[in-house]
Amino acid sequence: MQLEATEIHVNYDHVRAVTGVSLSVGEGETVALIGANGAGKTTMLRAITGLTRPDSGEIRYEGHRLDTMAPNDIVRAGIAMVPEGRRVFPYMSVKDNLLIGAFARTDKNGVNATLEMVLGRFPRLKERYSQAAGTMSGGEQQMLVIGRALMAKPKLLLLDEPSLGIAPKLVQDIARSIVAINRDEKVSVLLVEQNSRMALRISHRAYALATGAVALEGASKELLQDDRVKRLYLGGEL
Amino acid sequence: MTEQVIVNGIYSGVQYALIALGLTLIFALMNVLNFAHGQMYVLGAFVTYYVYGVLGLPFWLALVATALTLGIVGVLFEKFLFRPVLRRSSREESSMLLAAGTALLLESLILIVFGEKHRGVPSVVSGVIKIGDAYLPMGRLLVIVLSAILIGGFILFMQYTKPGRALRALAQDREAAQLQGVDVGTYSMIGFAMGAMLAGMAGAMLVAISGVNSGLGTWISIKAFIMVMIGGAGVVSGAIVGGLILGMIESIGYQMLPGGETYLFIFIGLIIFLAIRPHGLMGKPWG
Repeated sequence: MQLEATEIHVNYDHVRAVTGVSLSVGEGETVALIGANGAGKTTMLRAITGLTRPDSGEIRYEGHRLDTMAPNDIVRAGIAMVPEGRRVFPYMSVKDNLLIGAFARTDKNGVNATLEMVLGRFPRLKERYSQAAGTMSGGEQQMLVIGRALMAKPKLLLLDEPSLGIAPKLVQDIARSIVAINRDEKVSVLLVEQNSRMALRISHRAYALATGAVALEGASKELLQDDRVKRLYLGGEL
Repeated sequence: MTEQVIVNGIYSGVQYALIALGLTLIFALMNVLNFAHGQMYVLGAFVTYYVYGVLGLPFWLALVATALTLGIVGVLFEKFLFRPVLRRSSREESSMLLAAGTALLLESLILIVFGEKHRGVPSVVSGVIKIGDAYLPMGRLLVIVLSAILIGGFILFMQYTKPGRALRALAQDREAAQLQGVDVGTYSMIGFAMGAMLAGMAGAMLVAISGVNSGLGTWISIKAFIMVMIGGAGVVSGAIVGGLILGMIESIGYQMLPGGETYLFIFIGLIIFLAIRPHGLMGKPWG
């Protein structure tokens, strides 16, 4: 497995956010992490990127221990994250937002090639190239942060709620982009979503978290048909 | 008369902008109000006094020495004082108290090392030029030109270089910047050092005009706070605009109110202005 998190525990000020979650992402896989608000999905992503230190457990990526590395070194190891709520640099241009995404890289020609790829994938960004990122619509900002993460040329892409607050039509576009990125750029994806239906449709495998622990896991196709998943995550009674 | 007021205003305004720029940079990056900014200015002035005035070395060498000294002070302050405190405490009072403490520390050290006398240095350039009806000594023109070069260089650095982009990203969203691979520790240190350097360079240039004494720091800090409040905290354009506005108002005030009530009116005006526009002219309500 490319990424392997084992028995992760995270507490925030004595509140237990994650209690013993184990998950893995294989090379080339798209793995979804679904569950209600407060189930610990974002906390898991923060633990992988080094923004939050797990209290116990181990995170390994291509054999290296991540849980002792600083966030800026984890980026260099090949993991990029699209944070929740988009988090563009609002007063910087689209161009500068994309270039800062490649901050950790030193291969100038490679960066230009990636920039071409990103602009080809999201032509809207090309139209808004010199515009301040904060003045764009939510959907455009979401494309920008995905593009920004791709600029790092990651081998593993973490996405935190990319559909949150986006117009329904654009959610489809973003879902398609995620599938295309996974397929064309050979990037593994760990996708955190409250939109469980979308997440299960575009992923190979999935974990369902409930109150800080893995409640269900399996192939996404099967989970889509699972009665418990239908009841808990795909609408119907909660 | 009017022309002289404008020339004086530009002269003060440009150097003020330089001071405000350093203060706003540190604020934007670390959310720290650098109370020691005026003392950094005074330290810069004394380094130049020593290298240029006492040792008799060239002025440009004194500027280099000043930049290096203040850069080191900035690095030490960030790494050993602000970073540990900001890591352990998220309360704003902690960093504010620390900042006030560093101002006292620096002022006392300057007093011990350089004494309490007012010090001046020989003019760097001589002569006066006439612009319309206004007179501008060459020394002041040099300050204007050097300040403008430093401000311009700073803006170009921030806009078009990789480290500049990293600093801007850090100021706008610390966590998101980390996720792009920006090392927060290193870049906070670089930013703090640059802010200290800008204050020091302003002091270095001014010692050649009006001299310096160890007690000047607090007054310079207060002026810098006024400029940043006028322009808007944490915004580069705001610092420049705030500096130019304060310089111009001061120049008009000194012309019309020889009795020294200028700052009384500036403070009253500032209170009214902030009541109407708490974010300043260019300020953004940073969330």
